[in-house]
Amino acid sequence: MEKDQLLHKWLNNEATAEEIERLKSDPKYASYLQIADAASGFGIPEMNEGANFDAISKKIQPVRQLEKPKVFSIVWKVAAIFALLLAGYYYTTTLDTSIKTEIATTETFLLPDNSEVILNAGSQITYNKKDWSKTRTLSLDGEAYFKVTKGNKFSVNTSEGIVSVLGTQFNVSARDGVFKVACYEGLVSVAFNDTLLKLAAGETVEIENGEIVTSGATENTAPVWLNEESSFENAPLQRVVKELERHYPINVSIQNVDAKKRFTGSFTHKNLELALKSICEPLQLDYKINDNGAVTIDNKNSK
Amino acid sequence: MKEPENVCNETTFNRIYEAHGKPVWRFIYYKCGDGAQADDLVQEAFIKLWQNCAKVTQEKAKSFLYTVCNNAFLNEVAHKKVVLKYAKVKPISTNYQSPEFLMEEDQFHDKLKKSLENLTEAQRTAFLLNRIEGKKYSEIAEMLNISVKAVEKRMSKALATLRDEIGDI
Repeated sequence: MEKDQLLHKWLNNEATAEEIERLKSDPKYASYLQIADAASGFGIPEMNEGANFDAISKKIQPVRQLEKPKVFSIVWKVAAIFALLLAGYYYTTTLDTSIKTEIATTETFLLPDNSEVILNAGSQITYNKKDWSKTRTLSLDGEAYFKVTKGNKFSVNTSEGIVSVLGTQFNVSARDGVFKVACYEGLVSVAFNDTLLKLAAGETVEIENGEIVTSGATENTAPVWLNEESSFENAPLQRVVKELERHYPINVSIQNVDAKKRFTGSFTHKNLELALKSICEPLQLDYKINDNGAVTIDNKNSK
Repeated sequence: MKEPENVCNETTFNRIYEAHGKPVWRFIYYKCGDGAQADDLVQEAFIKLWQNCAKVTQEKAKSFLYTVCNNAFLNEVAHKKVVLKYAKVKPISTNYQSPEFLMEEDQFHDKLKKSLENLTEAQRTAFLLNRIEGKKYSEIAEMLNISVKAVEKRMSKALATLRDEIGDI
């Protein structure tokens, strides 16, 4: 056992001369030393350093080329995502806000400057939230009542003309070529074609196809439709029926009636029977409500 | 910027190849005795080192190379028959030998060579690393990832086996 330790010491090149003598005295260990010594005499071929290095370089090269684009592509991906998010954010913030009412509904809402808007049935308002602080401009298709907070110019663009104010309450209706503006407080300027009109509080104007039809005073302090009524003054029956269709989910067909008949009066938005009656009675007309929501208006004596 | 600790740098990598390429190649050669196979394994090990360069520090590169070679050898070639081709580098020490003595010596070396080829891979690698490379037990233990005690055991067994095979000298 002790000689085993000496043998390992010798193999590790750490044995002293005396220890080597002791190992050699044992024939078994002497032959070990001889074998070990002889084995040291062997050699092996050398590696071809250059050839192997070339082979390694060749195989490494494609790996290296692949790795760099990988890092770049990650950077590009991140950049692309950020760009997309930014573009999306920019797009959504600059997008116009649109508010639309369906048949038989009105909607009350506030603009970014706390101006109040009441949108009548079947109408649409479009404005841009982001630009609102710079220019108070919106476009209207239909009818709406505005209570404008005092500030810089407030403009309502319609297909018939532009109404602009500084701070007031007014009603605008722009439908089928008929443009009606009523001012209830302050001063309103109405621009259509090349004409500029100023409406003081309590004044109203109706423009049909670019020409003033009526202009005069209104005794109301707010538009009647806010009280769920529609009122007309010397309006063609067609227009009245269209307004009726906006407030009730019905389809009106007129038979044997002169469509140019004119109507002055009002109808309620709460009761179809009552509304039809208030339209038909003064004009000597008859009406019939069918099951599927279709309404027929007929001449009284046609039966 | 501070020089990175890892080996992801061409000059660092080349330096490691110059320092460890040949020893690693010989290490594998002792295991399999086949130069072409040793070439393949060395190439594989250095390519792996490059691919994992970010994870390997310069101090760990050497043991990384030996471990990779060892594993690759165990996985792929452990079962192949080993044929050693030893080249004598040292002429036999004395030059005034009788023909009988030279013949005996030749026979002895022949026997020794065959016996070495017949050793188990573990014993042969440890034995030749010590004898030809002159490696200390501690170095061999580190290369093979085993304890010094295990190296001692392999050396003793290798010597005992060789002595038995060669018979009386």
